[in-house]
Amino acid sequence: MKRDPDQYMPIATLTRIMRCVLPDHAKVADDAKETIQECVSEFISFITNEANERCHREYRRTVTPNDVVAAMEGLGFGNYVEPLTVFINKHRAQQDCCPPPRQATHQPLPPPPQMARLPAVDGYVPSPPAVDVANYLEMPQMRDYFVGPYRGGGGGGEQFDPFK
Amino acid sequence: MRQPGAYSNLLSGGKTGPHSLPLARIKKIMKKSGEDVKMISGEAPIVFSKACELFIEELTKRAWAMTLQRKTRTMHKEDVAAAVMETDIFDFLVGLVSHTPNPSAPLES
Repeated sequence: MKRDPDQYMPIATLTRIMRCVLPDHAKVADDAKETIQECVSEFISFITNEANERCHREYRRTVTPNDVVAAMEGLGFGNYVEPLTVFINKHRAQQDCCPPPRQATHQPLPPPPQMARLPAVDGYVPSPPAVDVANYLEMPQMRDYFVGPYRGGGGGGEQFDPFK
Repeated sequence: MRQPGAYSNLLSGGKTGPHSLPLARIKKIMKKSGEDVKMISGEAPIVFSKACELFIEELTKRAWAMTLQRKTRTMHKEDVAAAVMETDIFDFLVGLVSHTPNPSAPLES
């Protein structure tokens, strides 16, 4: 018969808690883990029923943490009361200190930080000087570039005639 | 940078407490425990998450003591059952561990 996983604590979480109290070399068979899963659910039901009865006896409808702790004490789990009380008090103190946010506030994002100026580095190669575009072709280095392969101009020599 | 505290997951409305037992599942089991369990305070499952952790630790330690008595290193269901039988406060589990079928028992023809 297939077990309904929603009725039990997750086996991975259970195993992690078990590992905290077992030596490193200990092994735990799957059937032991499943049995403990069932025991935990039975524990929750057992304590809840007792806590609920306490509520009814006092003409209340909501099962509170105090009911749960009192039920545990009444059913023989008195040694859990102190750690649970410390736990609840800590939780409540945290709630008072840092209450959870109620709504997401749409605040404008802060401006991005200014980009830091890069420090000057020795040996930095400066960018080439600005080029006078109007006289670009008159520049000696550019004239040589264009005339070079077809050298014949610039003071003598035949000009290239493609129709010859 | 500040690290989140142990309970920050709890405070930000996380689904699990700091001990990672799922609160929604605890609440489901609480509600199923009786027809007349109707209203449960928000903090009750949180208390149970810690209580279940204490319960698991105690049952595991007792079951491991049974395993050691068998001079072995693997805890089986029988060790958990033996721990339940030996501990008075676990009397409510006697029916559960004795009704669970033993898969290692030989089948009768």
